[in-house]
Amino acid sequence: MKLLIGILFSPMAFALGFLWPLSCQAAIALQLAESGWPALIAGAAVAIPLGLVAQLRGSWVWIR
Amino acid sequence: MDQVAHPANLDALSATELDVLERQIAGKYMGKVPWSAVVWGIGNCLVFVALFPLVLLDVIPLWAAFPIATLNAILAYLPSHEAQHNIIAGRGKPLRWLNELVGHLSGIVLVHPYRVMRATHMEHHQHTNDSEKDCDIDIKGKSTADFFLQSLLNRQPGSKRNGAYGRCLERTGQSHLQLDAILMNMAYLAIMFGFAWSGYAIEMALLWWLPKMLGETYLTYYLAWAPHFPGHEQGRYRDTRAFKSRFGNVVSMGMQFHIIHHLYPRIPLSLTPAAYRELRPILEHRGCDLGGM
Repeated sequence: MKLLIGILFSPMAFALGFLWPLSCQAAIALQLAESGWPALIAGAAVAIPLGLVAQLRGSWVWIR
Repeated sequence: MDQVAHPANLDALSATELDVLERQIAGKYMGKVPWSAVVWGIGNCLVFVALFPLVLLDVIPLWAAFPIATLNAILAYLPSHEAQHNIIAGRGKPLRWLNELVGHLSGIVLVHPYRVMRATHMEHHQHTNDSEKDCDIDIKGKSTADFFLQSLLNRQPGSKRNGAYGRCLERTGQSHLQLDAILMNMAYLAIMFGFAWSGYAIEMALLWWLPKMLGETYLTYYLAWAPHFPGHEQGRYRDTRAFKSRFGNVVSMGMQFHIIHHLYPRIPLSLTPAAYRELRPILEHRGCDLGGM
């Protein structure tokens, strides 16, 4: 249970659950990517590295 | 009583007489139901919740809803704070349900579980500026700029600040309340993730995620950092200060007089300026930091 809660509240879960669609929709709104796969890939390219940095380093902004 | 509280007369009073006088003055401001806080807390929550269908159904544009949601976040904590101190109605009183309703509802905007906030806030009052026991001690900064840097660092996943309330609950034997925090945050994430993947990520970012962060920063600046700065001293008359906000009493949310709240937490927020003015000579006599107020 504790592990499940830890995963749900992890930076990676936030990146996948929120930052990915947010980056994707922002890319479409800013006309940086077409909707569909290009936007999904663009969103993933922003959200997943950010989530990994936050997960592994413990900071979204690098400094701690 | 105003004449007795004149600085020249206070020297003639014994410590006990001074205590009695101080408590008599403070007592005049307690025991009143702050209806403004009730309307404020419930109304603020309703406006915030209404923004979601209004924006999603294109009734109001997102750019107009974002500042309203940010204002909702800034205004969300203080009614809950009044309820935490049982100011609306104490235990066993007929309006107790209203006290608890305001506490629970007003915290929704900031995803603040009411019972957790109350439990940890009482510890903050009891151990203000104690480096081990004050669960808000991490909100620090040598200057305003340093406060904002620390605020950014406190939000990072690896920050010690994240577990401060959990540790406080464990230390005080109230770990069961952590379930409130887990359930409330799970609901928040489920709503955020669900709407985001349904195509409303930008709307959720500007209606809840960003307003919540801005509101929390604003609130911690005025409620936690400014009144306790520099945060080195402990003791009833030294752990909190009065301060002059360059933006006035409304923008600083009445926190210029936060010293009154720490001395007499049952005085409603709306009455702290009046109580301060009447208690000022005594506080000055006791050597409080009144920040030129």
